[in-house]
Amino acid sequence: MKKQLFRGTELLAIVLSAFLALVMGRWSIIVIAATGGALVGLAQDRASGGWKRALQIGLIMSAATVLMGWFHNNVLQLLPVQETINASARSLLTYVGAMAIGVFTSVAIAWLRCLENQKAGRIGQLAILAAYAIAFPFFDAVTGSVWMATIIVCLIYAMQAQGLNIVAGFSGMLDLGYVAFFAIGGYTVALMNSEFAGRHMPFMLIIWIAAAAAALFGLLLGAPVIPLRGDYLAIVTLGFGEIVPIAFKNLEAIRINEPISAIIAWLSGKGAETVTCLIGCGDTPYNLTNGTQGISPIGSPGESFVVGNYTPWYFLILAMVVISVFLIHQLRHSRIGRAMVAMREDELAASAMGVPVTRIKLTAFMIGAMFSGFAGAFYGSYVSFISPDAFDFSISVIVLCMVILGGSGSIIGVLMGALVVKIIDLLVLDKLQVIINGIMHVTVFKWNTNPGLNNFLESLLNMTQYKLLLFGLILVIMMITRPQGLVPASVAKYPEGK
Amino acid sequence: MLELKNVHTYYGNIHALKGISLTVNEGEIVTLIGSNGAGKTTTLRTIQGLLRPREGTILLNGEALEKLAPHVIVQRGISQSPEGRLIFSNMTVRENLEMGAYQRNDKDGITRDMEYVYTLFPRLRERMTQRGGTLSGGEQQMLSMGRALMARPRIMLLDEPSMGLAPILVDQIFEIIKTLNKEGTTILLVEQNARLALSIAHRGYVLETGEIVLTGEGRSLLDNPEVKAAYLGERAH
Repeated sequence: MKKQLFRGTELLAIVLSAFLALVMGRWSIIVIAATGGALVGLAQDRASGGWKRALQIGLIMSAATVLMGWFHNNVLQLLPVQETINASARSLLTYVGAMAIGVFTSVAIAWLRCLENQKAGRIGQLAILAAYAIAFPFFDAVTGSVWMATIIVCLIYAMQAQGLNIVAGFSGMLDLGYVAFFAIGGYTVALMNSEFAGRHMPFMLIIWIAAAAAALFGLLLGAPVIPLRGDYLAIVTLGFGEIVPIAFKNLEAIRINEPISAIIAWLSGKGAETVTCLIGCGDTPYNLTNGTQGISPIGSPGESFVVGNYTPWYFLILAMVVISVFLIHQLRHSRIGRAMVAMREDELAASAMGVPVTRIKLTAFMIGAMFSGFAGAFYGSYVSFISPDAFDFSISVIVLCMVILGGSGSIIGVLMGALVVKIIDLLVLDKLQVIINGIMHVTVFKWNTNPGLNNFLESLLNMTQYKLLLFGLILVIMMITRPQGLVPASVAKYPEGK
Repeated sequence: MLELKNVHTYYGNIHALKGISLTVNEGEIVTLIGSNGAGKTTTLRTIQGLLRPREGTILLNGEALEKLAPHVIVQRGISQSPEGRLIFSNMTVRENLEMGAYQRNDKDGITRDMEYVYTLFPRLRERMTQRGGTLSGGEQQMLSMGRALMARPRIMLLDEPSMGLAPILVDQIFEIIKTLNKEGTTILLVEQNARLALSIAHRGYVLETGEIVLTGEGRSLLDNPEVKAAYLGERAH
């Protein structure tokens, strides 16, 4: 049964890589092959045939990627209204590079996973992934693929997804208002480091304040609603996710009177002049969040963090994600983490085993909120602009999609899920749009001479507007065919005989 | 050791336990028998703190338990193998056992007790790295009991260990219950299989619609004509 399960991951890796290569083409097939290779490698263990099987599957996956890439570069490129491809991106080097890196990654990761010395194997896998992550900015610069800005956003979402994975994945609580903590993180950084607030605190301090603020609100929200189960919890958190951005929108004209004097003034029928005012007493009330206009600019973490220079941002968020993943991994295998999983499995049994269920749920909620707070703080600094509109309900939904698609409770799966969902969202749909437009130009638009109808068709087939529909569709298909997600949560392994 | 005094438990407005009083002495096997819906599981859940009694007290060596949270009650030395086993099906056998020791901190003691559980149930050692959900019914029952043992309980509550098991497995499980008791664990056993339960128990209580209607030594209850008629399927002579 296990073998069957992993065959699914292999198939997914092949199909996903081929599809992405078909749509993206160019240099990106090297990145796609590396990612596909990582997935193929991760799908192997000793029972599945180890590196030998990885070699076969890796070859198939890389070949499919290269073939589709070639098709994109040479056939789809012939369509009208395509962006031009520079010669090096369609040279032999690209194809050979993609092939080599795809096969190498599959085999290397699979081989490391099957090593006798599991610890060394794990370190080796991490080293490969780290090498790719570090090499990426240079690859991006050399090839001019301008992906950095997008990848940074992907990593912000990856961090949120990791946090939500603690709440929804480990502990099995459905949180539909996760964006609230992201917003709290974002506004914290805006209020701690901007001209508007008149404060300039160092970034390394702010992210901790942001995380603490998010955790505190997690506690405040969680304490009364945690005893609720399933649907009820989902509804309350949904409400919280809506309330927080609205609160930030309305906190632009605050005037707080001292209540006792206000009551006396009202009782004695005297005018407002006797009321003692506490906050926002001048001609204009106190403006905390600048309402719908939002706060901009927000100070950057350091001197090298300037607009257009993405490399320091990339490494900062990468470091934050890596540290989060490490911490969450430790959490999962700690006593508390195990209690969370047990609670998800069977709450009554967990309770009977001595797990203090309410306390553990609250802990999960707070820790989850904390990571969203970190992500929010980085986001605020990165875009240098915070407004209530940036924290839409759809963010909660997309982050939840990432967790479910990636594999609830699986750290590496959720990471992959976040990258895949956000890359499809930000890069692939645009490219797909260009290709569909090209196909329309050589087919329907050629035959049909009514410009009104053509315009209508062009806007109808605009892929980016089907974003949410597509995610919904993917989610439904995944739930039917592969409910455990891209990379299922693995069962903890112990050395034999211990 | 464990004493229930006039315990009343409700599910909403449904009066499930109507003043249960019972005692379990150190070193005993005490069984609670009765038909479906008599309140056997409710009694165990009330002792464990999973349900709150509206009236009455529960004493463990003189300390009142009825206000304590379930995890504190586990610390005080009560653990159970719940009805339907309720093992964590996506966790390994080993992780299940570790969950049983959740309230303990003594690493050496946990390792020793895990070894003890593996000696008691050799099948669990073979299945150590398997997911709990892939075990057979009998193995799951063993795991559930092993998990309860991992809390190193002073008194262990067993809820229908024979449910859904083949007769040969039931005999095995009951042998193990006897062994456990000989090695010093006090046991409160809830069973529908009255004959088997009474044959190994020192004392027994018969529960009927939330009330204790009969009590006595295991042997004497086995011979009691009312019990025979109602629970052993024998006609009263």
